[in-house]
Amino acid sequence: MRDPFKYIFIWPAFLVVLMVGLFPLIYSLTVSFMSMRLVPPRPPRFVGLENYVDLLASDRFWDTIGTTLFVVIVSVTIQYVVGFAVALALHAKVPGERLFRVVFLFPMLMAPIAVALVGRMLFHSTVGPVNHFFTFLGFPNLPFLTDADWAIATIIAVEVWQWTPFVILLMLAGLQSLPQDVYEAADLENASAWQKFWGITFPMLLPVSAAVVFIRIIEAFKIMDTVFVLTGGGPGTSTETLTLFAYQEGFKKFNLGYTSALSFLFLLTVILFGIVYLVLIRPQVEKRI
Amino acid sequence: MAGVSLTNISKAYGDVTVIDGLDLSIEDKEFVVLVGPSGCGKTTTLRMIGGLEVVTGGTVMIGDRDVTTLRPGLRNCSMVFQNYALYPHMSVRDNITYGMKVRGVDRAEMDRHVADAARILGLEPYLDRRPKHLSGGQRQRVAIGRAIVRNPDVFLFDEPLSNLDAKLRIEMRTEIKNLHRRLEATMVYVTHDQVEAMTMADRVVVMNQGVIEQAAEPITLYETPANMFVAAFIGAPSMNFLKATVAGGEGGLAVVLSDGTRLPIPAGRHARFGKLDGRPVVFGIRPEHMADGAQGPAVMQAMPTAIEPLGPHTLVVGHASSGEPLTAQVDAHTAAAPDRAMPITCMMEKMHLFDPDTGQAH
Repeated sequence: MRDPFKYIFIWPAFLVVLMVGLFPLIYSLTVSFMSMRLVPPRPPRFVGLENYVDLLASDRFWDTIGTTLFVVIVSVTIQYVVGFAVALALHAKVPGERLFRVVFLFPMLMAPIAVALVGRMLFHSTVGPVNHFFTFLGFPNLPFLTDADWAIATIIAVEVWQWTPFVILLMLAGLQSLPQDVYEAADLENASAWQKFWGITFPMLLPVSAAVVFIRIIEAFKIMDTVFVLTGGGPGTSTETLTLFAYQEGFKKFNLGYTSALSFLFLLTVILFGIVYLVLIRPQVEKRI
Repeated sequence: MAGVSLTNISKAYGDVTVIDGLDLSIEDKEFVVLVGPSGCGKTTTLRMIGGLEVVTGGTVMIGDRDVTTLRPGLRNCSMVFQNYALYPHMSVRDNITYGMKVRGVDRAEMDRHVADAARILGLEPYLDRRPKHLSGGQRQRVAIGRAIVRNPDVFLFDEPLSNLDAKLRIEMRTEIKNLHRRLEATMVYVTHDQVEAMTMADRVVVMNQGVIEQAAEPITLYETPANMFVAAFIGAPSMNFLKATVAGGEGGLAVVLSDGTRLPIPAGRHARFGKLDGRPVVFGIRPEHMADGAQGPAVMQAMPTAIEPLGPHTLVVGHASSGEPLTAQVDAHTAAAPDRAMPITCMMEKMHLFDPDTGQAH
C-alpha cells in the first residue's frame, strides 16, 4: 500500500481486462434497458425494464429455458455416468486400452459444427444410416429430427457423443492420481469391486466429479451449433434453446435491446443454476477432502 | 493366530527373477523382521505372504492352510503400509471399521472393537477426525488399529516407521513391540533399518538379492554372522574388513595384515582358526572392538582422516597402514587428530575371519 509504484505494473493488465471483458458487458447491460433495432434502423430509446418484463411474460422464453435445462440435465447426467464408466474400464487396463483411449477422444477433438453435420447426416429421416439400420431390423422409419421428442433426444445423443470424452479424460486422470495402497488395504479386507468403487473410488473422486460436472453444465448451457445445425430449433420452436433464441432475436430480427436483456437473463439462469449446484454439492465434497 | 511357511518361493517379473527358491518358516506368535538393502526382495516376500503379489512358484502356507492361490481377502492377514494407506475421506472410526463393514459385522460389535483398538493405541480423542488432521504417528496408530480389529492370523508390517521422525520412530518401535507382547500375534515386519530389526525382532531374516543370507536371533547375527554381508549389514558403524593371512610361527597363530602387521590370535581360538594356517582370509573387526593406543599385543597403525565425537565415545575414521578403510570406536577423550598416525588395539577375541572368495565366515 505504501509503494504506489507497483500499481504501474497492474494497471496495463487491468485496462486490457476492462476493455475486452468488462466494457462489452457493461455496454450490453446498458443496451438491455433500451429499445434498439437495426432493421428498420431506429434511434435507441431508453425503455427501462420493458425488455425484461416482455421476456418474462413470453411463453417462448420459458419454453427455451425448459428445453435448455432439459438438455443440460439429461445430457450432462448421461455424459458423467457413461464417461465415468468408460474411464473405469480404461483404468482397469482392458486389452487394447491405449487404442481405445485415443479413439474415445476423437469426438471431442472435432468442431461442434462438424459433429452436428455428421449427426444430421446420420439421423436423416430418409437417407440417414441410423434409420436404414432400424428399417433393416424391422422398425418403422423414425422421425429423429422432425418429431419434437425425437429431435430433443437426438440433440442429447449428439451432445453425449461429443462431450463424453471430456468426462472420460478428466475422470481417467483422477483415477490415475488415486493412491494404489488404499485399494490394496481394501483387497486385504476382502472388499468386492462394487464395495471398492462405492466406498473408495467414488468418494475420493467426488471433488473431481463435482468440477467435471460443473464445467460440463456451464458448457452445455451454451449449446448452439448442435441445435442450429440439427434442427434449427424446430420442429416449430420445440428444440429451441436460450442461445438459439438469442441468435434468432439478435441476428434475424436485429432486435438488440431485447436480445441483450435475453442474454442477461441467460447469464442469470446459468449463475442461479450454478449456485444451486454448488450449494448442493459443496457439503458433500467438503466432507471428503 | 498361525505360523507362516514359505517353501521354494520364487517371484519373477518377466525375465527378471527377484526371488528364487526362498524357504522361510515363521513360528506361531513369532515376531520376524525381514531386513536388507533396497531391492533385496523383502517387501516382495511380505506382499507374497499377504497375497498382494502372486508367487511365480512355490507354496505359501498360513497355519495349515495352503494360501498360495487365495486372493488377499481370504488369507486373514492384516497389513500396515509404509504410507499408512488410510482412506482419506473417512474418519478414524470409519477407517478402523471399514473392513468390518465390508464383512457385515453388526454395529455393536464394531463399536466394541473400535473402543478396544482406540484404548490400546490411545486414539480415543481422534476417532471423529480425518487422517489429514492427524500427525504421522497418529496416522500410523490408526493403520495399526485397522489391522488389530481384523484379529488376523498374521500381521504384516511394510516399513511402517519409515515416514516418521527419529524420535517418534523410537517411540513407535517400543509400542509395536509391546503390542506384539500383548496380542501374542504372529508378526512379519519389513525394514531396511538394522537397528529397528535388532531391537524389535524375535528373529531377524537378513536378505540380499532375493536370497536369505542368515535368519537368526539378533544377538546371534551380531556375534556370529554367517558371512561378510551379514557382518557388514548388522552393526553400526559397519564392521571393518582387512585383507590378511593366517600365519603360525614363533609367536603362535596370528592374523598378518597385508602391510605385515601381526595380530596374535588368542590361544582360546587357535582350535577354531588353526586349520587356516597359511591361508588368505578377510579379517573382520567391529569398530567397538577396537581401542585407542597400544593396550595389548594386537596393535595396528591407523591414519585418521576424520574424528567424530559422539558423546559416549568417539569414532576415528581413516585407513589402516595397508590403505584399506578403517573405522574405530575409541574413548570419548581421545587425543587422536586427523592426519596423525595412531596405534589402535584390536580385541582379537571378538574378531571374525571370512573366506575371501565366498565371503563365508570361518
